[in-house]
Amino acid sequence: MKLRGTCQLNRNHLRTIVVAGLTAAATVLCGLALWPAFNPPARADEDDAVLPRQIDYDSPLEVLISPDGARLYVLCQQSETVRVFNAITNAPIKTIAVGRVPRGIALSYSGDRLFVTNTWDDTLSVIDTRTLSVIATWNVGAEPSGVVEDRAGDRLFVANRISSDVAVLDAHTGMEQKRLLAGRGASYLTLSPDGSRIYCTHVYPNPSDHRTAPESEISVIDTKRAVVVDRIPLHAIAGAFHLAFSADGRLGAVAEYHPKNLVPLAHLEHGGAFAYTLTLIGTDVGKPVEVPLDELERYASQPFGVAFAPDKSRIYVTIGGSECVIAIDVTRLLHFIAAHPRPVSGSFAQDLAASSNYVIARIPVGHNPRGLGFSRDGRKLFVANRLEDTISVIDTRTNRVANTIPLAEPNAISVMRYGEQTFYSARHSFQGQISCSSCHIDSTFDGLTWDLEPDGFGRDVVDNKMLEGVKGIGPYKWNGGNPDLPTECGPRTEKYFWRSEQYDDLTLADLTLYIRNMRTRPNRWKLAGREMTPAQERGKALFERAQDKFGKPIAEVNRCSYCHSGPKGTNRLLFDVGTRKATDNGSLLKSAPLTEIALTAPYLHDGSARTLEEIWTVYNPEDKHGRTNDLTKDELNDLIEYLRTR
Amino acid sequence: MNMAARVLAIAASAALLLPACGFTSNPAQSSSPNIVADIIVTSTPVYRPLAALRGQERFPQGAQLLLIHAGKAEPLVPGFAASADANISFDASTMLFSGKQNAGDPWQIWEITLASHSLRRVIAGATDAIRPLYLPAGRLVYAQRTAQGFQLDIAGKESTWLSAPIDAQAGTTTLALSYLPASAIPADVLLDGRILFESGFPLGSGSTPEMFLMYSDGSGVESYRCDHGQARWGGTQLASGDVVFTHGPTLARFASPLAHEAPVAAPHAEYAGAIAETASGAWLVSAKSGAGTHYSLASWKPGSAALQPVLSKSGNDLVEPVLIASRTRPKRHPSALHDWNYANMLVLDARQSRAGDLKATPAAVQLETMDTKGHGVAMGTAPVEADGSFFVKVPADQPIRFALLDQKGAVMRQEHGWFWIRRGEQRICVGCHTGPERASENRVPAVLLRTTTPFDLSGASVAGSAQQATPRGN
Repeated sequence: MKLRGTCQLNRNHLRTIVVAGLTAAATVLCGLALWPAFNPPARADEDDAVLPRQIDYDSPLEVLISPDGARLYVLCQQSETVRVFNAITNAPIKTIAVGRVPRGIALSYSGDRLFVTNTWDDTLSVIDTRTLSVIATWNVGAEPSGVVEDRAGDRLFVANRISSDVAVLDAHTGMEQKRLLAGRGASYLTLSPDGSRIYCTHVYPNPSDHRTAPESEISVIDTKRAVVVDRIPLHAIAGAFHLAFSADGRLGAVAEYHPKNLVPLAHLEHGGAFAYTLTLIGTDVGKPVEVPLDELERYASQPFGVAFAPDKSRIYVTIGGSECVIAIDVTRLLHFIAAHPRPVSGSFAQDLAASSNYVIARIPVGHNPRGLGFSRDGRKLFVANRLEDTISVIDTRTNRVANTIPLAEPNAISVMRYGEQTFYSARHSFQGQISCSSCHIDSTFDGLTWDLEPDGFGRDVVDNKMLEGVKGIGPYKWNGGNPDLPTECGPRTEKYFWRSEQYDDLTLADLTLYIRNMRTRPNRWKLAGREMTPAQERGKALFERAQDKFGKPIAEVNRCSYCHSGPKGTNRLLFDVGTRKATDNGSLLKSAPLTEIALTAPYLHDGSARTLEEIWTVYNPEDKHGRTNDLTKDELNDLIEYLRTR
Repeated sequence: MNMAARVLAIAASAALLLPACGFTSNPAQSSSPNIVADIIVTSTPVYRPLAALRGQERFPQGAQLLLIHAGKAEPLVPGFAASADANISFDASTMLFSGKQNAGDPWQIWEITLASHSLRRVIAGATDAIRPLYLPAGRLVYAQRTAQGFQLDIAGKESTWLSAPIDAQAGTTTLALSYLPASAIPADVLLDGRILFESGFPLGSGSTPEMFLMYSDGSGVESYRCDHGQARWGGTQLASGDVVFTHGPTLARFASPLAHEAPVAAPHAEYAGAIAETASGAWLVSAKSGAGTHYSLASWKPGSAALQPVLSKSGNDLVEPVLIASRTRPKRHPSALHDWNYANMLVLDARQSRAGDLKATPAAVQLETMDTKGHGVAMGTAPVEADGSFFVKVPADQPIRFALLDQKGAVMRQEHGWFWIRRGEQRICVGCHTGPERASENRVPAVLLRTTTPFDLSGASVAGSAQQATPRGN
């Protein structure tokens, strides 16, 4: 009886508390509902909108397990740190500051040194794993990304994204010995299990003829001789990321994007915009073979990380846009390849039912999963959720997330972070096939031209553009059809890209805020201060000249500096510069900004100019795109040298 | 925060306060230990589930919606002569159904509030309107009887508020979605926003029940899967995304990874059409032991060996169960139809087909449409490029089909059924009946390298031909 009375009392108390709590919650909700009436948010289409207070995030990009299995190293791109955890207890051990915007991480073969590439200051941090401190910082190439050390500990190999090469360094001094040409946007390096080869993948397609399928490669480097010994073609691939090998070295897999940019983008079903695939290499498969990760109604948008289980039973792939990890049964995969006639192209990417033969699980994880790594016994798989600041720990026996390691105390999600999550998540597109980042790789561009549907099939083919520095250069689109970013990213995107219900207005505002405030990477062609090389000085003079070489005045509107004026190299007006093709609906095009122009080939509105030089030597016969036909080859080179500084 | 978000927040505040004050408006509460949510089921002496595909009556001896609450069934709309086709709104506050207020009325579309049971007629007309389904943003899709059988219509002006109720004037804003010389009946609205519907296979000409898809503007019509064979009908999407349906007397499913149906290992019984999935993952099914018996309501937990009886009614079939429970709202489809009175169609490689790729490249493609008397009308031929691509302008909103011709004009392969393209639709097909599993290859179709103007087969330039082929009327 007493107990019942106590319960009754508690219930009454509970009811009072609940009512009070609900009332408070309702008050807060009402307050939130009315708040905007008194505190209107910054409009996203205002270029001078105030950026909300920044919250510091870690943004874990890659994970590594120490050779003894005791430590988990997490490379955090936004906080520019390496965070060290106990791989058994998940307890934090130490946070090590590295350079600007790190991207690559690797352990030496002995495990005594940790190498981190820092993309924005072009350095490599060397960390002593006994003291967990940075013992050296070496200058390396432009935007260093992937890094590996050879087995002997003599050489370091560093992939440079901007210079599209692999630097070979003395592993003891950091002194560069040579450069090896790799694919465009060289980014990820993998050492073969026997240590004899290094495999380099790249994120932008190699130059190819206009309106032909993209071509990529895996550059294969002989570790001992430090020479490229093979280039494995990746036909139709634009964007290749991590490559991993089975422990026996007989099977390798690289995660990649297979765009459909040559087909009008009329709808997304049946792989209308992308296939997301693995290319398999090695003796287990003979010739390289491409296998899809997609399903008929559910896509594997933007695969990134690849890891083989130590016993080779499974391949795990992080799927950044789909926010999951895909598990593949290797035996079933190899059986599928052996049992099915291999297409002449070597690709099964056209078969959306193929993955049912080998994909055994899609494991939901956090926002934008990237790097992944196994515990030593293979029972745990650590996954870096870049835009969630967590590490998912997958139990590989159940293929479920068993634990989640938060990298920081839970804090409020900022507007910018929410916008970035939206940018990278494919959840808003039909059947989850694409997101902004499918074509704007790592928030940049993809080096491709696309045929969008509303302008007519085969008409108004457009080159995809860099997003950095996009703030304040409206109107948008090549024809200037969209006055601001909310228009560019709003209903037009929903209707002609996502082909599905997209985000609400608040999310759109967050997304555009993120895009407008993307930081512009350091320009490698600029000297310190306002200094210029002599060639750049000569190019600047040509850019600004008012008379041609024959002393004739150049009309103001036909000077480079007129249309490409201002800090971003555009006066934002439309001009006919004589580049209209028969398939273009109009001749007026917005003067393109010059921000990071050295990086963003191809050029012109339809991507028909493969190089800056071709803009003038091939596509400017009547001098309508500026007076350039009086210039010599050397002078054009000077002009290019100057443009690269923009 | 925009206005819709503010309204939502205020509504949420009210919802939080109401229970605290001792009120509740949740109609889904049940005291039954076995049934989490209340159920609505159609009770009928005779159930002919596929009759509507032949333009006939599914419930020749009438039908009545029953509300099952606490294990007890009672008529939901007792004043009606007939009622069927329950579809619960996404927030479980209202229900659409087809009903006859008086015995002589045609089937019409009604909506009832589940808390107060207040009624309103949404679609009224001189002919039957059946199988209503909620769409996002205040719209519904249903089947309307026409001279060509039942056709799919959509009603309601699309609201900017995705959870908007159906407007009182919805019946005045209807749009035809399907244009077939045969009946089409909606089955479900998928989470990706597409409408799953039933019709005969081959579409527009066959009699084998099959499931098809379209967007909510009528564009993109296609088979769900192309492993055609036995009758498939009564499709319902589960929370997982799989679609469960009746295959002959048994159940089967479509799953995203598979290009073909997969069996469902349900206990031996005859199953009838749509199922309902409970929050616990169990399925509510209509099943009977064999001929001469009636369908009763049972629950089945996938993987278990036996059906658990829920309700039976002597002399009646209990079919098409639905749960009174909120559910995930499907995505709204943003229509991208152009303001044209024709459509464009690009085929990337006509040689590709699920029936086996053609070895030789067709020389031409022939388009045929159908006049109001059901006669085929040839609309002309267009060239096929060496890579199998062709690009044609076609008449919209009427039955069409293609045939591939060789150099001598002989038919190499032809469609046996019909389909339609909506006005202003620009559609791409990978091949000719390649199946949904075949993705496009990344190359510029040769036809677009030659011209970006579609070959005109719309009839607009051929006197008489287009006029003979008129769209359906309701």
